[in-house]
Amino acid sequence: MADPCTRPLPVADDLSRPFWEAAKQHRLVVQRCQTCGYFNHPPRSACDVCLSQHLQFEPVSGRGTIYSFTVMHQPTVAGFAEQIPYLNILVELEEQPLLFMVSNLPFEEREKVRIGAPVVVYFEEVDAALTLPQFRVV
Amino acid sequence: MWTGRGKTAIVGVGYSALTRHAQRPLGLLAVEACRAALADAGLQPAQIDGLATYPEAPFLGAGNRDGEDIVSVAYLINHLPLAPDIRWYAQIETGMIASPVIESVHALLAEACTYVLVWRALHQPRGRYGAWTSTRAAGEAQFVAPYGCTAIFQWHAMAWQRYMHRYGATREHLATFVVNSRRNANRNPRAFFYTTPLTREDYLAARWIAEPLCLFDCDIPVEGCVALVLTTAERARDLRNLPAYIAGYGQNTSRRRALLHYALDDYMECGGSLARKLWSSSGLGPQDMDAAQLYDGFSPSALYWLEAAGFCPQGEAYAFIQDGRIALEGELPVNTFGGSLGEGRLHGMGHIAEAVFQVTGRAEGRQVPGAAAVCAIDGSPMLRGSGVVVTKDP
Repeated sequence: MADPCTRPLPVADDLSRPFWEAAKQHRLVVQRCQTCGYFNHPPRSACDVCLSQHLQFEPVSGRGTIYSFTVMHQPTVAGFAEQIPYLNILVELEEQPLLFMVSNLPFEEREKVRIGAPVVVYFEEVDAALTLPQFRVV
Repeated sequence: MWTGRGKTAIVGVGYSALTRHAQRPLGLLAVEACRAALADAGLQPAQIDGLATYPEAPFLGAGNRDGEDIVSVAYLINHLPLAPDIRWYAQIETGMIASPVIESVHALLAEACTYVLVWRALHQPRGRYGAWTSTRAAGEAQFVAPYGCTAIFQWHAMAWQRYMHRYGATREHLATFVVNSRRNANRNPRAFFYTTPLTREDYLAARWIAEPLCLFDCDIPVEGCVALVLTTAERARDLRNLPAYIAGYGQNTSRRRALLHYALDDYMECGGSLARKLWSSSGLGPQDMDAAQLYDGFSPSALYWLEAAGFCPQGEAYAFIQDGRIALEGELPVNTFGGSLGEGRLHGMGHIAEAVFQVTGRAEGRQVPGAAAVCAIDGSPMLRGSGVVVTKDP
């Protein structure tokens, strides 16, 4: 995994703070519209489907499938130069079509990574202040 | 059919030099391209009373200093001796570069102005292209940057990976597209890769950028500018070049469903939203196109457009492009000038310019004989885009 000192660290804001606070407690939550039921990720100020402001973070199963993946070979992202090549997977959570989260895996996992493969969330404790939701192939 | 069909035309095209790192600021390259377009049309700067551009920087965070990173309408008003009274202008950031062309058509039809200059200037910031250098990620980037997944080519790689998985396409299939584009670039003296051939073996041996995309699947970033002059069909007939009539246009208007960036799954619906309007406004269809100039910022995008615009059925573009079908001598020549992959990264402006050259018989060593209708479509279909059809006859 990336060097915790240099990888870009998320800057929590009013919208995203509950997501990161929950991750610290090893819980995966996604903002959900209480009017129409749509999951918004990244979180919004108003529901992306119905514009309702009645939005709350709800726990999700942490299960999904690999929608797609790539092996990154360029040292484009600060903090990841030492990690290349590394894998990124795009996870489609089981709660809703095209509800995506990104995860990174070491290149050694390459053989396990296939489109449609089931994945489950785990939590990478980067430092005392930050825990990152990540996904691994089941 | 659109009542504006054939009532306006592109009457001049101008290029600045296209280089990796220009010795002159972007503003001067834009002035050079605009003056070249005016000379091509046989017009004086003082006759230009309409201006439109798509000024956006090449990628997020690339800077927005006027005349250095971008070239705005204000820059050209200040630095070209245009009409003393500019009657209409616009800076469009929806769609892509065809969108300011479309708005120029509207302005001409509304008689808001008489001659419009449209340009697209692109610089290349020093350092690694699109690098994420911050140790902090705010906004939506907070959900991708901590995972090392901020580059647009990573998202394109994931879209193509899914396409390959869904339809059975391979790198060998895509190689045909890239090698064909380079072959066409080798016939285009303006192309960055004019004198550099590319074989299938070169392509298959190229280094990875983000698998399954390699170096030659990515367009070549250049610094430079392309400019067009538009006017009404009536005025066009008095000018020195044959006009390339604007027969129709479309813009991508469909809602994409994925919030975190974009997904392959949206390409048919979003791209189709553009294509339906392109064909219904022009009264033409894919079968009427003598060539197609399709956006290829990353090579798979052109394949998605072949399907979304109806040149072949969904899931078949990778097979459609084989056996010489998209070559200059084929049944549907695609990116006859080499595309962004071969000519340089001009965000779709090269595609429009080439469509004009083809229907006016000015494409020289890469001319498609008798080309009468050619489309130019920009953008990646699951994301955004705009397009025009130009024709030899009004």
